[in-house]
Amino acid sequence: MFAKAASKGWLLFYIYNMKKIVLAVICLFFKVATASAQADSLVLDENNKYIYYQVVAQPASSADSLQARAIVFAKKAFTANKLKFKDSDKGTIRATGGVLVAKKSSVAMHEDARIDYTMTIEVKDNRYRYWFTDFVIVPYARDRYANFVPVSGKNVPLEKGLATLSKKDFDGYTAKLLANLKDIGNRLKTYMKTPVAPVKKEVKKTIIPATNW
Amino acid sequence: MVLSLKVYLNIKNNYLLKIKSINYHQTLIKLINMKKILLLSLIALGTLTVKAATIGTSSRLTMVADTGDTPLTISGSVDAYYKYDFAKSSQIGTSFASDHNSFSIGMVDIALKKTTGKTSFVGEVSFGPRGQQQSLLPGAAGDSYHIQNLYVNFAATDALTFTMGYMGTFIGYEVISPVGNFNYSTSYMFTNGPFQNAGLKATYAFSSKASLMVGVFNDGWNVYTSGGRIDNLGAQLFVSPVDGWNAYLNVITGNSAGTEFDLTTSYQITDAFKLGLNAADYTAPKYIGKGGFSGVALYPQLAVSSSVTLGLRGEYFKAKATDFGYSAIAAGTSVKALTATANIKSGNLTIIPEFRLDSGSANSWMNKSGMPTKKASQALLAVVYAF
Repeated sequence: MFAKAASKGWLLFYIYNMKKIVLAVICLFFKVATASAQADSLVLDENNKYIYYQVVAQPASSADSLQARAIVFAKKAFTANKLKFKDSDKGTIRATGGVLVAKKSSVAMHEDARIDYTMTIEVKDNRYRYWFTDFVIVPYARDRYANFVPVSGKNVPLEKGLATLSKKDFDGYTAKLLANLKDIGNRLKTYMKTPVAPVKKEVKKTIIPATNW
Repeated sequence: MVLSLKVYLNIKNNYLLKIKSINYHQTLIKLINMKKILLLSLIALGTLTVKAATIGTSSRLTMVADTGDTPLTISGSVDAYYKYDFAKSSQIGTSFASDHNSFSIGMVDIALKKTTGKTSFVGEVSFGPRGQQQSLLPGAAGDSYHIQNLYVNFAATDALTFTMGYMGTFIGYEVISPVGNFNYSTSYMFTNGPFQNAGLKATYAFSSKASLMVGVFNDGWNVYTSGGRIDNLGAQLFVSPVDGWNAYLNVITGNSAGTEFDLTTSYQITDAFKLGLNAADYTAPKYIGKGGFSGVALYPQLAVSSSVTLGLRGEYFKAKATDFGYSAIAAGTSVKALTATANIKSGNLTIIPEFRLDSGSANSWMNKSGMPTKKASQALLAVVYAF
């Protein structure tokens, strides 16, 4: 009778712990799934500006090493018109760039506009985050040499894009923009996992004269 | 993942050991169900972990920098028009929109472009009156090669670019492509200036706000081959003092084709209002006699909605008092031409209604009775589809 009661007590204790484990696993599952969904969106921030924002965990990486890698990325990963290093200070790296976009209705694919942006990367020990914002649509038009070139003085913030573009064209622009931002983000992840060779400090040799000292 | 499996195996072993001593059937079912939930959760977590590990392996990828290569792009346009000249025959010397009381075609224009690393090419062909006899001189055998632009670019550095081939001229405000113009009829300065120049040019960009182009070009304008000499020198200084304001100071000079100085500028003053200006002075080469012209044109444009823009072109054009005139404007006489144009856009289509009134200092045209007159006017409706 006593043994039976003891077994029952142990079982209840066991079920109680198991519930906790199941709950923790389910919570973890939903957290990962939710984070994954947020990362794919171009959203409006508190200032009603479009932003693409991601946080990336990278264990066993110091802030200094992440900063060095981010600077290499900003300087070398893309051509200057797509991403160009602007400046950096401790923990923060800034770059600017743009992506060429075309209207969905175009029979042939050529540049209809460029969407400029700023990119900011912030690093800390074992993690970094980055975001793109300040999106500006720069319309393109054909010039006399059959090139499509920026139209000066007609820039429109992305937030006001629907005032000058049809919904279809706006959706086409933002779809291309988002794909481009993801591409940059993926390449950033590659660069952030690749160690940067430390800068060799040149050691000045002191020559001790054999004579005339 | 390993940790998760350990937890699972530990739970599983404990479960197997203890289950023998439990006789509560209901509890057993609860435990089995819980095992299933735990297993499913672990599988789901495992899937995500594997996905994360796949991203993690990207560190083994080679870091290849973006080269800036672009796929082959195709662009172009198709245009057609109806024009009515109030003299009941074409009087005004516009390059295009020449046919009176006729539904007429402009051209089908197709441009190909590709960039590979530091090099790129443009090839633009055109078929139709606008793209053949109205803008291109025939080849030696009388054929039109249909080429509007055919050139290759080489970017030696980020700032210095070399271009060689047959190119749209760098002179003037208006262009041959209907996509590049606001007005459908053309100005006197455009009609009597160069359309294309074949040659080799170098462009150096001091910044995005200033650049200088210098080049050598064939002896004749608008020809695919030189007459045996390359004696035209050209230069263009570009400055952009403020955002939205572009200015080009141009010159082309040569013993065979004469000398033209040209200023082309436009300023997008507000989101809705743009003002353009073109001024030119041309002196013909000595071997064909004394000749030349000078002119100035203003191009105010007002966007009244996102799809409708209204614009004017007011031009003063004078043929120099020398041996011959230009576009029915006799030597020593002048013309004031006012053109009112609307651009109504619907997707890729632009509808262009236009009215033009030219007023000369002399009897430059005929009226509908066939008598000389100082005035000429026309109305047209054009459609331009750009792709």
